[in-house]
Amino acid sequence: MTAIELKGVSKKFRRHSERPPITTLKSYLLRDLWRHRKPTEGVNWALKDVDLKVEKGMTLGIIGRNGAGKSTLLKLIGRILRPDKGTVTVQGKVASIIELGAGFHPELTGRENVMINGIVLGLSKSEIKARLDEIVDFSELQDRIDDPVRTYSTGMYMRLGFSVAVHVDPDILLLDEVLAVGDAGFTRKCMGRMKHFKRMGRTIILVSHNLATIRTWCDEATWLHEGTLRMSRSPMDVVDAYLAAINGADAALAEPAAGGLAR
Amino acid sequence: MLECLSQAYRHRALVQVLILRELKARYRGTALGFLWSFVNPLILMMIYVLVFSVYLRVDVPHYPVFLLCGILPWAWFSSALNESTHSIISNAGLIKKVYLPSEIFPLVYVGSHAVHYLLSVPILFFFMAFFGIPLSWWLLTFPIIVFIQFMFTYGLALFASSLAVQFRDLLHIVPNILMIAFFLTPILYPASTVPATYLPLLELNPLAQLVMSYQDILFYGRMPSPGGLTMLAALACVLLVLGLAFFGARKDVFAEEV
Repeated sequence: MTAIELKGVSKKFRRHSERPPITTLKSYLLRDLWRHRKPTEGVNWALKDVDLKVEKGMTLGIIGRNGAGKSTLLKLIGRILRPDKGTVTVQGKVASIIELGAGFHPELTGRENVMINGIVLGLSKSEIKARLDEIVDFSELQDRIDDPVRTYSTGMYMRLGFSVAVHVDPDILLLDEVLAVGDAGFTRKCMGRMKHFKRMGRTIILVSHNLATIRTWCDEATWLHEGTLRMSRSPMDVVDAYLAAINGADAALAEPAAGGLAR
Repeated sequence: MLECLSQAYRHRALVQVLILRELKARYRGTALGFLWSFVNPLILMMIYVLVFSVYLRVDVPHYPVFLLCGILPWAWFSSALNESTHSIISNAGLIKKVYLPSEIFPLVYVGSHAVHYLLSVPILFFFMAFFGIPLSWWLLTFPIIVFIQFMFTYGLALFASSLAVQFRDLLHIVPNILMIAFFLTPILYPASTVPATYLPLLELNPLAQLVMSYQDILFYGRMPSPGGLTMLAALACVLLVLGLAFFGARKDVFAEEV
């Protein structure tokens, strides 16, 4: 069964530097003076004609350089963005963990924020009440859970956010570089939770720069390059090809320098 | 419209929890805490009483009660509109990271200030009892007027919040409009003192009708103008429907533009 299907998906972004949007009254009044500019010149395609199919229960890793469109792809699947062309079809409840602790309020306590964050991520009130103890235990913040979140360290904040996120229990989990939070012990716990997800037959999409994570965790990997899918195959192959390309680029950079030295 | 309502119903837990977040966070860490909801309008009322009743000798019996009838709903309207104008921009963190129907953000501010308003109404009853103003049966229409104000404010808030994303000047324009509207609305003075030449200013101001309705049922203990109130209700419905459509047409780009 297909969990996620993207057909010919393109997403463009306006480049603000080239064609200023109307953000102030002055620019609104002056807009006619700019009319001679071509409106298309400031458009950037973040994704171009992407086709992707993810089977239910599969863990897909997405790799690529900064700005390749990885996060945009994740946001399109999570319905945060709408595609400009093509269609995105998603079967099941999606939880997008693109940022930990979305909606946390610094003045409120950890416990209150768990309530808010859980509901924001799609849990019902009774579900979150039932899981509250489990979430607090998982975060290892029992002593501090009734303190305002602003008094937490960054690591504690992330741990609480992650604990809520992994207890949302969606059909499809979208993770953007958030696995590497907390100390080694906590990371191991997160990995255990991911294993549990996989066993339950959940679909996971994972964006990561950690190639080892991609290799060990994913059933399939996809390499995004400048908004297009360069390769979709087994994680081993894709990671190898990606590394080869990076090494190739390094070599290309290194060569003229070496030549210069020889002379 | 119906789709919007069913969406709002499905996300009622979310709206509720976000309203609670606003209410809890507002006075967290302050010594007076929730009492600020009472103190703020009382301070305003006292300074207006000093200026208008003592210095300028406005001749309205029980002037403090008259003032509160208008100040309290005005505080709801203006704070809600002001904060919801910022609501999409200030919740950028959520809008960019989680899929949520953005209509809930202005709703959260209109809702949280509605709660403040309803909780501040007891001060009004206290002052009414103190000045010996009897409660009338027309008080039963209070929920209807509150509901009309809710639709009216949310309708405007939908326009203001979605426009402010691309047109940031609105963040400065709205407080100015609110300040002008405050003085053009019969809050500090009874509508009967407005000279005939300027009556159109009053009749064209929907907020005047709203505040006068509150004054009628609370202060004067009489029936609010049925024609005026019906017009206001119709306007509120139209604003709400148009506001939802206007907002809906713009919300797809919020995640990119905020």
